[in-house]
Amino acid sequence: MTTAVNEPSAARHPHPTWPYAAHQSGQAHPATAAGLPRLLPASQKPESLRAHLARLGPVPYRNRGNRGNQGDQGDRSDRGNRSDLSAWTRSTQHADLIADLEAAGLTGRGGAAFPVHRKLAAVAKARGHKVIVANGAESEPASHKDAVLLRLAPNLVLDGLQLAAEAIGAREAHLYLHQGANPEILRALAERSAANLDRVTVTVTKAPPRFLAGQEAALVNRLSGGPALPTFTPPRVFERGVGGAPTLVQNVETLAHIALIARYGPQWFRALGTHDEPGSMLATIYHATDRPEVVEAGIGTPLSTLVKTTGAQALLVGGFHGTWLPMPLAAQRTLDNKSLSQNGAALGAGLLAALPKDRCGLAEAARITRYLAAESAGQCGPCLNGLPRMAAALTELTRPHRPSRRTREDVERWAGLVTGRGACSHPDGTARFVKSALIVFAAEIALHERGMCSATDHRPFLPLPHRMPTTEEDWT
Amino acid sequence: MNGTTAFWYASRATGIVALLLLTTVFVLGLLVTRQGRLPGLPRFAVTSLHRNISLLAVAFVAVHVLTAVLDTYVSIPLTSAVIPFSSGYERFWLGLGAISLDLMLAMIVTSLLRGRLNRTLWRAVHLLAYLSWPVALAHSIGSSRDMQQGWMLVLAVGCAVLVLLAVTWRLVSAARQLPRAARVAAMMTKHAMPGTGIKSPRERAAR
Repeated sequence: MTTAVNEPSAARHPHPTWPYAAHQSGQAHPATAAGLPRLLPASQKPESLRAHLARLGPVPYRNRGNRGNQGDQGDRSDRGNRSDLSAWTRSTQHADLIADLEAAGLTGRGGAAFPVHRKLAAVAKARGHKVIVANGAESEPASHKDAVLLRLAPNLVLDGLQLAAEAIGAREAHLYLHQGANPEILRALAERSAANLDRVTVTVTKAPPRFLAGQEAALVNRLSGGPALPTFTPPRVFERGVGGAPTLVQNVETLAHIALIARYGPQWFRALGTHDEPGSMLATIYHATDRPEVVEAGIGTPLSTLVKTTGAQALLVGGFHGTWLPMPLAAQRTLDNKSLSQNGAALGAGLLAALPKDRCGLAEAARITRYLAAESAGQCGPCLNGLPRMAAALTELTRPHRPSRRTREDVERWAGLVTGRGACSHPDGTARFVKSALIVFAAEIALHERGMCSATDHRPFLPLPHRMPTTEEDWT
Repeated sequence: MNGTTAFWYASRATGIVALLLLTTVFVLGLLVTRQGRLPGLPRFAVTSLHRNISLLAVAFVAVHVLTAVLDTYVSIPLTSAVIPFSSGYERFWLGLGAISLDLMLAMIVTSLLRGRLNRTLWRAVHLLAYLSWPVALAHSIGSSRDMQQGWMLVLAVGCAVLVLLAVTWRLVSAARQLPRAARVAAMMTKHAMPGTGIKSPRERAAR
C-alpha cells in the first residue's frame, strides 16, 4: 500500500487551501508488502495526540529517569550494549540514538540527502548552548509533502524534534513553518504542552514566502532575528547557527523518520529502501492526466509505478533546482539517487512532476526560470546578473520565429558561468534546471524557431507564487 | 654615503617607497569595498593585489623603522617606533609615525586572524585605515626635509589627491547603490520579462 493524498489541480497558493481529500490509491505498488504507510496515519486524517500515542506508543526518550536534565552525569550506564543493535530498546544512553541513526542509514529529506547521524554527532560534540530547528518551510512551490506530513502526523514530527534535541543536548527548539501552514501542527503543540509531554519548549516562526527561505543559512539568519538570506559558509550552522550557538537543522520529514527509528530500530527502518539508501520517503507527484498527490513510497520503487506515464512527455525530478528527464527515460529509473544520478538527476525535495504532452515544455521551463531569477537574494554577482539573463534568453526562445542557436549557446554559457559561484546553491540549481530543459525540450525549441508550438493547452502547469520581492520586509 | 649613514639613507628611501605602496593599498582597498575592477583583471585579482601589496608595504615599513632605529646619526630608541611621542628626535612627527604603525599592526593582526574573528570586529578594525593613512602621510611630510620641496612634494600631494578622489568615488558609488532587495527586481525590469508583471522602462513610458 502506498499512501497517497490527493490534491486538486495546481492552485496558485496551494498550502493554505489544499483540502487533502484522503483516498487510498489501492494495491498497485510493490511496496505494499513492506508495510506502508510509515509516517502518515492509515486513516488519512489529522491525528490527535491521543490517537498518535495509541498508534505508536509514548515518546521513547533514552534518558527516562532524568527528565528535563540532559547533562552527561546519570546516563553512562549502558555503554556495553553499543554494538549490539538488538539491544537498542534496552538502552538508556542517549548517544545510542545517533548510533541507531547511523545503523539505519537515514539521510536528510530536505533535499541534500546528507547523512543525519553526522549532523547530530557534530552538534552533540559541541559544548555550551545548542539549538535544534525543525525545518518545515517547504519553500519549493510545487512540493507539498511537508505540509501533508505536518497536517496528518504533526506529533510524529514533534516527537522527532524532542528526541533529536535530547540526543544532541539542545535546550532551545524551533519550528520553522511555511506562511500558510495548516493549524494542526499548532494544535498538536498546544496538546503536548497541556500534557506536559515535551522536555524542550518549541518556538514557532513563520518563514517569509521566498524560495530561499528554507535554505539552512537563511533559516538561521531569520531565527536570529534578521532577514531570511543565505550567507557564505563556513562557518557551518552546526558550528555557529541561531544566535551564534551550534545548531542542528533537520527537515520535518527527517525528524518524523527519527521518531520511528527511535521506536522500532534501524533494522526495521532498513526493511524498506535500498542498501545504500534505506527507508521510505514522501514524494509530491504531479501526474499528466490526474490530480497531484503526496505519496509515501519505499526508496528504490520504480518511477513507472509511482508516476502515471500516460500522456506525459517529461518528468521534472527533485524540484525547481532539479532535472528534467524525458518520460521514457524517467520510466526506467527508480526512486533513489543511485539510479537517478545515471541521468544527472537527484531526489532533492521529492518532487516528481510529469509534464502533459499537450503543454509546451519550453514555456513551462522559461516561466519557472523567471520565478527562480526573481527569487535570487541579489547578494552574489553571478546569481544577480546571470539568472535574469538566463530567464530572459529562455523567454526569448519561446517566442516564434526567433533564431535560437546563439541564444541557446548564451544560456548554456551563462549556466556554466554561474555554477559554483554563489553563497548558496541557488545559481547551481537554477543552472541545472535550465541546462536539462535545453536538452529535453530541444525539439520544442526547434519548433518555436519555425514559428510553431506543440502545445494545445497554454495554461501554466506547475504552481508558482506570483509576487516577487522588492523590499527588505519581503524577506522577513 | 659611508657605513655610518647607510642606514639613514635606507630609512629615508624605504619610507618613501612605503608611502607609495600604502597609497596603492589604500586605493585598492576602496576598490575592493565597492567590488570595483581594474582593466584586464577579474575582481578576485583586485582583492589579491590589495592583500599582496599590503604585505609588501609592511616589509618596507619594517625596514624603514628598523633602519631608523639602528642608525646612529640620530638616536631613536626601538620603543619610540611603537610608543607615540616618546622619541627625543622630532618628537611630534615620529610620534605620528608610531601611531600609524600601531594602527597598521592592529589591521595586520586582525586580518591574519580573520577566519576566527566575526566580520563586524574585523571591519571595525580595518576602518582604522582611514586614520592610519593620513597620519602616515603627515609623518612623511613632517619628518622628512626631502618631501617638503621639489618633486618629492609633488609626489606627496599626488598621493593625497589620488586618495581623496578614490574616497569620493567610493562614497558616491555607495550612495548610488540600490538596496539589496530591489536589485533583482531592477535586473528583471531591465530584461523586461513578460509574464512577471514587470515592464521595461520603455513599456512603462508608453502607458
